[in-house]
Amino acid sequence: MARYLLKRLLLAIVTLWILATIVFVIVNVLPGNVGRQVLGGFASEQSVKDFNHRIGTDKPLLVQYGRAMRNLFTLDFGKSYSSTARVTTILGKDLFRSMKLAVMALLITVPLGILAGRFAARRKDRLADRAIVMTGLATSSIPEFVTAALLSYLLCIKFHLFHVYADPPDGTSVIGQFRYLFLPAMAMVIVYFGYIARMTRAGVANSLESDYTRTATMKGLSNTRVMNRHIMRNALAPTITVIGVQVGYLFGGIVGVEKVFNYHGIGLEMLTAIKNHDIPVLQAAVLVIGIIYMLSTLVADLLIAYLNPRVLMEVKR
Amino acid sequence: MTIGGASMGQVMPSSAGAGVEPGPNIGGVAAVSDRKLVRKENWRLIRRRPGFIIGGLVVAFWVACALFGSHIAPKSAFGTQFPSGVAYPTNQSPNGTFWFGTDRSGRDVFARVIVGARDVLAVAPLAAILSVVAGTVLGLLMGYVRGLLDNIISRLVEAFLSLPVLLIALLSVTTLGNSRWIVITVVAVLFTPIVARTVRSAVITEADLDYVTSAKLRGETTGFIMFREVLPNVTAPIIVELTVRIGYAIFTVASLAFLGAGPQPPSADWGAQVSLSYGDLNAGFWWPTIFPALAIATLVIAVNLIADAVQSVIEA
Repeated sequence: MARYLLKRLLLAIVTLWILATIVFVIVNVLPGNVGRQVLGGFASEQSVKDFNHRIGTDKPLLVQYGRAMRNLFTLDFGKSYSSTARVTTILGKDLFRSMKLAVMALLITVPLGILAGRFAARRKDRLADRAIVMTGLATSSIPEFVTAALLSYLLCIKFHLFHVYADPPDGTSVIGQFRYLFLPAMAMVIVYFGYIARMTRAGVANSLESDYTRTATMKGLSNTRVMNRHIMRNALAPTITVIGVQVGYLFGGIVGVEKVFNYHGIGLEMLTAIKNHDIPVLQAAVLVIGIIYMLSTLVADLLIAYLNPRVLMEVKR
Repeated sequence: MTIGGASMGQVMPSSAGAGVEPGPNIGGVAAVSDRKLVRKENWRLIRRRPGFIIGGLVVAFWVACALFGSHIAPKSAFGTQFPSGVAYPTNQSPNGTFWFGTDRSGRDVFARVIVGARDVLAVAPLAAILSVVAGTVLGLLMGYVRGLLDNIISRLVEAFLSLPVLLIALLSVTTLGNSRWIVITVVAVLFTPIVARTVRSAVITEADLDYVTSAKLRGETTGFIMFREVLPNVTAPIIVELTVRIGYAIFTVASLAFLGAGPQPPSADWGAQVSLSYGDLNAGFWWPTIFPALAIATLVIAVNLIADAVQSVIEA
């Protein structure tokens, strides 16, 4: 286990380094005067120079790169260009709001996907199975902002069930917030549940035909017990991998959803930062999402290794 | 006739690969005709699948719109007045004159949806094709040459796979510029590692087979073996990958356009249209948002139906 953990952690660090380097290259190596872009065409030459000096973009690239890497490991991204607040302060708040939305989406998606997949696998090739598989295939290919727009039209404009804006007024109770967040969460649930359902279906269908399932059934165990103790445990490994990856996707798709519902999370902050050329915020936002992405795949891999020790044997060989 | 390769094992007699090796030339010819047979049979099976037929019809419709959009649409996608000079009403709900209504500038939404097919279809499939070509070359190198090269690229690919693709694309396009070629290149680059991984694993199983060994003994060059011997035998997973990638490319390109990294106003691009109009949903003007949104949904679903049909036949 220790060796596997080490290998996985090392890969995670390499990934993070590559991500940080890509972001650095995209943001810095491109031509363009940062001070001029931020301050606009009317600023004097001197103030542009002062600005560039203050934020350090007049230093050699290698020095800047070194600083960017140090910032990453100390999780300190300096100050925002446009509001002079610390980047970590701004993003901390946004991240918390995005997390609420993401967690809500996951809490609906994961059980729904697993139950649907399990249901479909037990009725393999019958109508209900086909319907679930085809629905999942169709909905999981639609971009999140499209489902968000369609949902907000149907449920807010046509039937007045929810609010078009996801930002609850200050002081809204937890249950009240739930009502505001439900629709944006559903926009993501629609996109992600299909993939999880398909993965679970494949895993369960595979397990159902296996020898250990036949043995368990012939031992006289009840169907529920066979399903829960023998089949699901083995069938869930691919599903867990997919969920790990989905958490990452979710934070990509959340940008579009936050835009449609005007929800001030990390995605909307990124879009604002792009508009204002607020590079520290932009850079940090992408890195933070990258870290979440990495952590979620890492946790998924470790969970699988724990559930299924055969994974560790593979590594040893 | 044994030099066919494993990918068609189910069609070939079980003696494949075990018998006496005929001369390389004869073997090559037989393998080629076998491959053709398998391909023909696969194509016949794919064509019969309902998903392929429905998806194909929808995609054909949008491709026709992309090619001849301005001739099909009854009005201009950018015009805001009747020939008489009277301005179109703004935010007009759908009626007999404006089938899908008009947007906030008074442009005909129906015409814009038809013409807008071109924006996404000129970008996404090309990006997917480029990523598949680059990924195939990379995958062949990794899977056939192996060794240190494979090790290094594999680690890089794994790292790339856990990057948030949409966000990196968003960041790149907004800093590099909104041009069509930049979107194509960025999406292609970000998809390449995924394709490379698929091709690599297909190549690894091929590289151990007899026909590769015999080509090596004949003294063929590495390049010849990779592209002329191995490549034709791994086309099946590559075709699957291509159809799947086109679906993801449309997804990504449309999302980028919605987020402002792509065609700019007054473009009729679907994502850009949604981006321009979704703020008016609350005021009840749903048509300039919902029709382009539905257009995106139908196109991606159709492409995925085709990809699913291809995948289930080839991987069966």
